[in-house]
Amino acid sequence: MTIQIAAFENPRSNSDTEASAIDLRKVSVRFTTDRGTVTALENIDLSVPIGGFLTLLGPSGCGKSTLLRVIADLIAPTSGNATVLGGSPSLARARRDIGFVFQDAALLPWRTALQNVALPLEVGGISRPGRRSPAELLALVGLSGWENAYPHELSGGMRQRVAIARALVNDPRLLLMDEPFGALDEITRDRLNEELLDVWASTGTTILFVTHSIYEAAFLAERVLLLAANPGRIKEIVPVSLPSPRRIALRETTEFTKLAGRLRAILETC
Amino acid sequence: MSAMPVHALAVNKGFANDTEAQARFNAARRYLAWRKRLLPLAAGIALLIIWEAGVRFFDIKSFIAPAPSAVAVVFVEKFSILMANLWPTAVEAFCGFAIGNIAAVLLSTAFVYQRTAEEAFFPIAVMVHTIPVMAYAPILVLLLGNGMEAKVAIAAMICFFPTLVNMTRGLKNVNPQQLELMRILSASPREVFQKLRFKNSLPYLFSALKIAASTSVIGAIVGEWIGADRGIGALIIQATYNYNSPLLYATIVVGAALSGTFFATISWIEQRTLSWNVDETA
Repeated sequence: MTIQIAAFENPRSNSDTEASAIDLRKVSVRFTTDRGTVTALENIDLSVPIGGFLTLLGPSGCGKSTLLRVIADLIAPTSGNATVLGGSPSLARARRDIGFVFQDAALLPWRTALQNVALPLEVGGISRPGRRSPAELLALVGLSGWENAYPHELSGGMRQRVAIARALVNDPRLLLMDEPFGALDEITRDRLNEELLDVWASTGTTILFVTHSIYEAAFLAERVLLLAANPGRIKEIVPVSLPSPRRIALRETTEFTKLAGRLRAILETC
Repeated sequence: MSAMPVHALAVNKGFANDTEAQARFNAARRYLAWRKRLLPLAAGIALLIIWEAGVRFFDIKSFIAPAPSAVAVVFVEKFSILMANLWPTAVEAFCGFAIGNIAAVLLSTAFVYQRTAEEAFFPIAVMVHTIPVMAYAPILVLLLGNGMEAKVAIAAMICFFPTLVNMTRGLKNVNPQQLELMRILSASPREVFQKLRFKNSLPYLFSALKIAASTSVIGAIVGEWIGADRGIGALIIQATYNYNSPLLYATIVVGAALSGTFFATISWIEQRTLSWNVDETA
């Protein structure tokens, strides 16, 4: 994969009002179920700078996915205020500023890899082609030659690459990833982790990445957000000061092991 | 055929080289494919021979159970009569198939967008579906008369319900993450239908259409039993009343060929349309 590291340019930014990509103020989400009210998120205050890489780590049911869905305008917060790229989440969604990668690739099985990547250009009444064509994006995620393959002909890792290419087709300024590599084997996951960092470097997009894996969270991020469950709340934000560009071998360094140990210690109190 | 575990596990041992092993593997695979086709054919012929021998040996009267050879003779002699009676049934079955399935697809589409309509009518549809065709067929003949309309209506009714149930399920059983994706893309309800729900329902639709292909022929024949002077069903009744068993059996062969051809056509279209759907075509 060739990587072009370009300075991040933001054509529509009004730099005064848009200091951060995401700004959450006292965001709470409550669901009513058969067994009463569940507080998925309580008083979340969070700010993510433009171009940042934040991983969200926490036990099951701590509201990681809910937080991502509030930002993507899939769930409206019960109370509090969410600002995404200077406006409301729904405005960001309508402008195609948000790319989302799901846990199962959520490809349409009747479309080829290339047609899946092109889907965002066909719906929603706004065709906002990015700088890269769908074919170029497939090449970016290492799938040249697989354009005409159907999802059932692709491995799990390849399907997730297609999903990432699809999320990038509108040049989103914000990429939300909900445990995208959770169902993959370790070797594939490691490789995709490295490739995701390359994609991040070459696109300059802001990334929020939900994961269950301490190593993945530490390896990818500039900052790791640790969430505690019942009610879902921010436990701690740990800055990661590992050198870039990162390669998997980094995990064998003492520095990395120490960081992972620290994250584990915090998780045990969540 | 791709999965043949026994051969996939075969170790290349005792062969001069891999090419020889590959040749042996391919030969074994061809042999298995032919075996799969020829065995049922051989079994069928064997059964016919046993039947023929049994009828001759026990000297069974032709009107009780005709020998296959007698059926074959009648089939050739009365070929034009059989064909003349095939057409009305084929037309009734096909028209019923088309009308019943189109109505079911339209109604299930309406159900997806009008939840109230679904909640009101779906349970009724399921209840009506449990009424046997033999029970409601006379009602339709009373309503629509003795012509083709009644038979088409019966065939349509019999196709309608499985398709309605399957199609409604197919339009609704959409992966929630795919729906979230469409929302993130600000897709209109129409786009969600065209690009997601409808495509998602196609495997469900085709499994209903394959059922309907054979049941529509049953519907047309049942309709003809109640009152008709032409058609497979009419010929079955006539042959039975005249104790003309060889003709009865020949008629049944024609009817089976009709529904078999119909089913095979739908399966063929399915394989061409749903090549992406591994579960269904494997």
